[in-house]
Amino acid sequence: MFDVNKIRNDFPILQRKVHGYDLVYLDSGATSQKPESVIRAMDDFYRNTNANIHRGVYEMSVESTLMVDGARKKVADFIGARTEEIIFTRNASESLNLVMYSWGKDNINEGDVILVSRLEHHSNLVPWQELCREKKAELRIIDVDSEGKLKIVGGEEKLYEEGGLRVRLGSLDKLVDAKVKLFSVTGASNVLGTLPDTLTMIRMIKERSPDVKVLIDASQMVPHMKVNVTKLEADFVAFSGHKMLGPTGTGVLWGKKKILSKMRPFLYGGDMIGEVKITGSTWADTPSRFEAGTPDIAGIIGLGVAVDYLENLGMDNVREHEKELIKYALEKMAKLEEEGLVKLYGPRDIEERGGALAFNVINVHPHDAAQILDSFGIAVRSGQHCAAPLVTSFGVPAMVRATFYVYNTKKEIDYLVDKIREVPKVFEV
Amino acid sequence: MTDYKDIIIDHYKNPRNFGSLDNADISMDESNASCGDMIQIQVKLSGWIPGQARNDKTVIEEMRWRGVGCAISTAAASMLSEKIVGMNREDLEEFGEAGIVEMLGGEVNAGRMKCATLAYRGLLKIFENNGN
Ligand SMILES: Cc1ncc(COP(=O)(O)O)c(C=O)c1O
Repeated sequence: MFDVNKIRNDFPILQRKVHGYDLVYLDSGATSQKPESVIRAMDDFYRNTNANIHRGVYEMSVESTLMVDGARKKVADFIGARTEEIIFTRNASESLNLVMYSWGKDNINEGDVILVSRLEHHSNLVPWQELCREKKAELRIIDVDSEGKLKIVGGEEKLYEEGGLRVRLGSLDKLVDAKVKLFSVTGASNVLGTLPDTLTMIRMIKERSPDVKVLIDASQMVPHMKVNVTKLEADFVAFSGHKMLGPTGTGVLWGKKKILSKMRPFLYGGDMIGEVKITGSTWADTPSRFEAGTPDIAGIIGLGVAVDYLENLGMDNVREHEKELIKYALEKMAKLEEEGLVKLYGPRDIEERGGALAFNVINVHPHDAAQILDSFGIAVRSGQHCAAPLVTSFGVPAMVRATFYVYNTKKEIDYLVDKIREVPKVFEV
Repeated sequence: MTDYKDIIIDHYKNPRNFGSLDNADISMDESNASCGDMIQIQVKLSGWIPGQARNDKTVIEEMRWRGVGCAISTAAASMLSEKIVGMNREDLEEFGEAGIVEMLGGEVNAGRMKCATLAYRGLLKIFENNGN
């Protein structure tokens, strides 16, 4: 049973006050709060088990190793993958960079094309800009429409050439041909909440470029809905552990074993080698090949417990809860919009969006709005949300963003809407 | 209730020296990458010969500015445009972040320091990129 009041009791931080008010945490899109069970698992590890993995035959090292293996299995099961296909990283950015360094450098050549979208977080844009520049490949970007949905057909195409990088911007239909070697796209926008129909896009691209590899940035998907990597029809899936109730310092890259086995290592050093001689070395199999050095052992164990927590809630229930919240929030905010108080961004149809709500208070800079909301205990983010090309395409330098998760309530949304009304008053003289 | 003191609201709503200078000696742009705020600053200088490096005798005579920004960055730019008249490099450096915080009423949320210092960082450029 999904009981939000019961859930809230599992998150100790929700008890705290901010400027004398109850905390209303609406920034889970940046990082989620952590339940007691996750915090306790990490604490318990440091108190009772702490030892490095893979390195000792003694009891505690064996226990640590088993715990990390167990967490890997939980994450694998959670997204319908095999354990050897789960690579632990520090965060989603590192997962995306891993694909760029270990796959991209060897497989993208002059004249090839990397296709992304305008919805991308900088983490899924900047690595490809840099690789394209280095390899003299072309970066193509699927543009968004006025609701923040990806343009599939029609419209104008634009070509940019700057600092040795060629960029083509337009609708998907115009950007796809046999030169597309990588399609790297977000499964859910961290700013507008847009849920692009990746499956339809992938199939359309594969018709024209059958060997294309597909990378899905699932940072805003895996925490919020049931994800099965096979059903995504992707080759790589990247996400953060810290946005899904897990500790900071954890991220995941899933990749098809067939592809991972042919990739060069990411970082070199301990734990990732096969055989080492003074004249050279061979590499361990996946996933170890991509996990040099001591990992965030406690963090990974915590992530495993976060997965337990989410499994227990049921990801379909999580999605339903968030849909209800976003529907409620959109209705309330639309009223404010009618009154001329705010401007909303992103799709209006809740089937096409996740729980991120981007808006601006009319005539108030988003930083000011966020700071005034903070003075009432409300934590929202303001700025460009690491997605400058997306935010500025709406003709504004920045936006306020509220993001919802398992512990948020309709009452909190009422409170947010109430306090948004207070924002312009601060500037009335 | 909030950190928005009357003086900030006043300068935000009625920014001083907003606009451009017809006979500016130099212009500087500064921006905050995380929020997209941008400011363009123009100044008239004395004690300086165009084409030569600005030195310790160089003094800011007048400043005009424009751009998009929040209440904090706008108020800070507005206040600074009055405060820095007559300052040379040393004065400006000495003013520093502490001067900005004091100017804004003694308290700036750490998350807003980038907003508060946007114009100031632009002004410091007068003495960088020297000689143009
Ligand atoms: C869609 C998306 N991709 C990538 C990232 C980067 O995640 P991390 O900060 O864990 O590297 C984020 C986080 O803000 C995100 O929302």
